[in-house]
Amino acid sequence: MRFFDLLSLIFYNLGRRKGRVALTAVGVVIGTASVVLLVALASGLQRNATRQFAGIGDLTIINVFPKFEAGPVMEASVNGKIVGGSGQPSTNKILNNQAIEEISALEGVAQVIPRDSLHYPGRLKVGKLENYAYVFAVAVPDTSILGYELAAGSSKLERGTAIIGEAAARNWNDPNWRPGQPQPEAPDILNKQVRFILTRWTQDGTTVEKSVSLRIVGLFKERRGETDYAMVVNMDDLTQWNEWGDGKRINRNKTGYEQLMVKAADTRNVTTLADTITNLGYQASTLQEYVEGINNLYTIIQIVFGGIGAISLLVAAIGIANTMTMAILERTREIGLMKAIGATNRNVMSIFLGEAAGIGLIGGMGGVALAWGLAQVVNVLAAGYLATQAAQMGADSAGQATYIAPWLPVFALVFSTVVGLLSGLYPALRAATMIPVLALKYE
Amino acid sequence: MDQAAFVITQNLRKTFVMGRTRVHALAGVDVTILEKSFTVIMGPSGSGKSTLLYLLGGLDRPTSGTIIVNGQDLNTLDENALAVYRRNTVGFVFQQFNLVSSMTALENVAFPLRFGGVAAGLRSKRAKELLEQVGLAKHMRHRPVEMSGGQQQRVAIARALVNNPALILADEPTGNLDTVTGYSIMQQLAELHAGGRTVVVVTHDPRMLRFATNTMYLLDGQCVSREEYEASSRVPEAG
Ligand SMILES: Nc1ncnc2c1ncn2[C@@H]1O[C@H](COP(=O)(O)OP(=O)(O)O)[C@@H](O)[C@H]1O
Ligand SMILES: [Mg+2]
Repeated sequence: MRFFDLLSLIFYNLGRRKGRVALTAVGVVIGTASVVLLVALASGLQRNATRQFAGIGDLTIINVFPKFEAGPVMEASVNGKIVGGSGQPSTNKILNNQAIEEISALEGVAQVIPRDSLHYPGRLKVGKLENYAYVFAVAVPDTSILGYELAAGSSKLERGTAIIGEAAARNWNDPNWRPGQPQPEAPDILNKQVRFILTRWTQDGTTVEKSVSLRIVGLFKERRGETDYAMVVNMDDLTQWNEWGDGKRINRNKTGYEQLMVKAADTRNVTTLADTITNLGYQASTLQEYVEGINNLYTIIQIVFGGIGAISLLVAAIGIANTMTMAILERTREIGLMKAIGATNRNVMSIFLGEAAGIGLIGGMGGVALAWGLAQVVNVLAAGYLATQAAQMGADSAGQATYIAPWLPVFALVFSTVVGLLSGLYPALRAATMIPVLALKYE
Repeated sequence: MDQAAFVITQNLRKTFVMGRTRVHALAGVDVTILEKSFTVIMGPSGSGKSTLLYLLGGLDRPTSGTIIVNGQDLNTLDENALAVYRRNTVGFVFQQFNLVSSMTALENVAFPLRFGGVAAGLRSKRAKELLEQVGLAKHMRHRPVEMSGGQQQRVAIARALVNNPALILADEPTGNLDTVTGYSIMQQLAELHAGGRTVVVVTHDPRMLRFATNTMYLLDGQCVSREEYEASSRVPEAG
């Protein structure tokens, strides 16, 4: 028997019993739809979760800190004393030029960017208004390499310039403000020269202030990240301000930097690179670790959800088996006839298996279509909630509640067809092994 | 006659076991059917005629004994080979026609060719020829319910011929038909015989004997002579 003839006969037989095929397929439609919809929901959740994380920062950045194991060690590190020999991996390495070289030499590292923060209080002052943004510096001429997105202005950091976060730029206060008075309006500081006032205390407790002039060249876009309430300045400026506070020069080879931001060349090897850096004796953390953890969690959720959906498909499978058993009883004489006119056992088996698989496939197609439709409905219903959530989190756009990955419909169709095929196995085997003469005499 | 034997059975037995009772449908049948003969098998109901015909056609296997068709021992064939034997060597005609009710006359006749892997175009061409041959050129698109019993049986005969088999087996082909229609079916079978096929017909209708070259009588699963057969059919009347 030719394969095409087999297929056409299967479709012909299914077409003869449209009503029953449709009723049986309804079970498969529901089963497949629940599998697809539940997995789509889990995927949607996953994508929303990863989107939020992706918004916080650059997934290719690894944050490296000195390894702090215990209190005394921490003190020693802060005071610039190295405990133990540098050759021993168990000791705490500081983030000096040697460390930068060591990490830069690792495979897959694109760039190592030192970072440090202001150790003394500093405030921007415009008129009466003051702004206490968190101040840190990165030793890189262009901050865009760190994945910091801009809302306005430039990402370049020269001496005497600063880029401020959108949230920080809104957050001004008036020291003379009294309850009942209107909140002060935030001044426009972009591309303006503003005063930045540093404070330190002398041994006897008197306050000393130093005023510098800064030009605000850019505005970081708000994204629930560390740049929101921060002001980023040039590293040389920052070092100078800290030295003014300390009252002595800083030797970076002895004290190192607070943090190194290691940019990986590729998102794929970020976690292995982080592990390598950890093994070198530093403390490394990546956003990707969180994202991967979340992915693993949602993969489990997808499997569980899919499994729940598959239970209804199992019920549908019993329906198919039942329908096929009925069909072979009703068509016993026809089976006898087919054998009398030369059908082999295999031909008969293929026909009945094909019909069962066909019901599975038809149900699967209906199920995928239904799930797709329902997914759209869920997306519309959830759109409002997701938009509010996205707005709260500062994402540029809201995600969808459900996500149907391209592999999902394909998988669902294959799965429902296989379920049909398996349900038809026993009935088809019975049909195939009937003794022709008995089948012909069957009433 | 120098005709060769086409079908030979030796000590053919078929026993049906139903619970505790055993029915010896065939109790040692030895027959020889010559090539290109028209053999009529007669016998009372339950004498084993259908059982014999089905065994010859490979629709069932004997309990013991051998069947040799065209030099081939059917016992040596596996399920697959037996299906191929049924497809290529035998054409069946049943009392109840056994047409597929959802298929047209044309589709019914062409149906066996699907299993032979014949291309669709060729299938309907061959089916058309045969329907014309049995006088149903105008009924090709009709379904069984739209045809008379005689027409349905002609469709069944055309279907039996579609693979051009050497052996035609007909089990009471006129049993469900009125006398006039039944006779035309007999003539149709006689034509097949004239066309060079070996025809074996089980019937109760004595008019069939007119076309027969050989006649066999079955009684309680055994082959008997005409005299024995006639004697047996007189007994109930005498009693
Ligand atoms: N499948 C079967 N199971 C049990 N007994 C059967 C079966 N087929 C036929 N028989 C018995 O075998 C005997 C011969 O049957 P059959 O060949 O149909 O007779 P005929 O065709 O001559 O009327 C009968 O007694 C019948 O009841
Ligand atoms: Mg009979």
